[in-house]
Amino acid sequence: MSVLDEIYTRAKADPQRVAFPEATNEKMLQAAYEAGQEGYIIPILVGGKAQIEALVREKGYDLSVLTIVDIHDEEYKNKVIDAYVNLPDTRLKAKALGRRMEDPLYFAMAMQAVDEADVTFAGIDNTTGDVLLAGQMIIGLKPGITTVSSIGLADIPGYEGSEGSLLAVGDSAVCTNPDPEQLASIAISACDTVHELLGWEPRCAMVSYSTLGSGQGPLIDKVTEALKIANEKRPDLAIDGEFQLDAAIVPAVAEKKVKRESKVAGKANVLIWPDLNVGNTAVKLIQQFGHADAYGPMLQGFNKVVCDCSRGAPVSEIKGNVVISAVRAAGAKK
Amino acid sequence: MERKELEAKVIELIAAAYNKDAAAITVESTFAEDLKGASVQMVGLVSELENELDVMVALQDASGCATVADLVDLVENEL
Repeated sequence: MSVLDEIYTRAKADPQRVAFPEATNEKMLQAAYEAGQEGYIIPILVGGKAQIEALVREKGYDLSVLTIVDIHDEEYKNKVIDAYVNLPDTRLKAKALGRRMEDPLYFAMAMQAVDEADVTFAGIDNTTGDVLLAGQMIIGLKPGITTVSSIGLADIPGYEGSEGSLLAVGDSAVCTNPDPEQLASIAISACDTVHELLGWEPRCAMVSYSTLGSGQGPLIDKVTEALKIANEKRPDLAIDGEFQLDAAIVPAVAEKKVKRESKVAGKANVLIWPDLNVGNTAVKLIQQFGHADAYGPMLQGFNKVVCDCSRGAPVSEIKGNVVISAVRAAGAKK
Repeated sequence: MERKELEAKVIELIAAAYNKDAAAITVESTFAEDLKGASVQMVGLVSELENELDVMVALQDASGCATVADLVDLVENEL
């Protein structure tokens, strides 16, 4: 069974409520409908009710599969606002939130913040920047996390690592040049993401061109400083480094290069790149030469699961990412 | 709202968002050198401007401000 098949099976066992603020987009609507009809999620379409219903009828979809939330329903909107402003540590007050909620993206996230939905899924009409801003403003970042970041999952044919052919890598998409504090946040978030999504016990390597001081310089100092911060913030997590890539994932190399106890060296299942130059290039290498299937990028660092899909994504990819985000949300509840 | 009053209010909100002493911030203070915040701080600041002054400032416009005075100009235009 492929990793995606396993994720689909887990989604079906515990379907989550996914809010779709771009439901008037035909591709998004189709992905939401199919994922709902097949039992992977409980789709909630957020927007102008009349417009959404018209599109649903035009497509011949069964309305009973879909819950439609009308952003013009003042009674429901006020209920969400009241609940939101009573939450601790929220950024917006009632008036400002009410104004923002005229946008379905903010409406959906406010619903999610007050547990009326488990996931917000967007990005086909809104830009990544729109989704990240709304997420930071309405959902907020997890305690101790200083940046939004992303992680991807690579399924690499022929690779026999500690999780078979799977390897989680990040950040290859969002945080361009993280400082040590942010790099620590990426590592911590990545550990939480793989645990929520896949049930893994994360073994996270901070990757560099040096292994435990074999090289010296500011690029390495950044990684070691990040490691120190991550270990201080989350001593419960197995995060270690700095390791070269081979020392991180190849047991024989780790044995030679890492002359101390490590839960991670040689058996890392999560790799954290030092910056986006490395991350983006590494993913392209894995795809081009390793012929890997790459899933993601999955946004992480938010208090709850927020998902941004590529604007050019086909329905099948959107649907896969919807299901992945739902499984993450279910995992985060455990 | 008078310009001086607006400057004082914006500085107060910046101090809260960036966890700095308001007395150490002037209109000449720069976001890159003097305040050194991450984007998450700017999100907090934009939210507080919206809450306290009832103006919607786009994050990308706020992030484009070099100095506190630039941000005050931006807010003044929206009031």
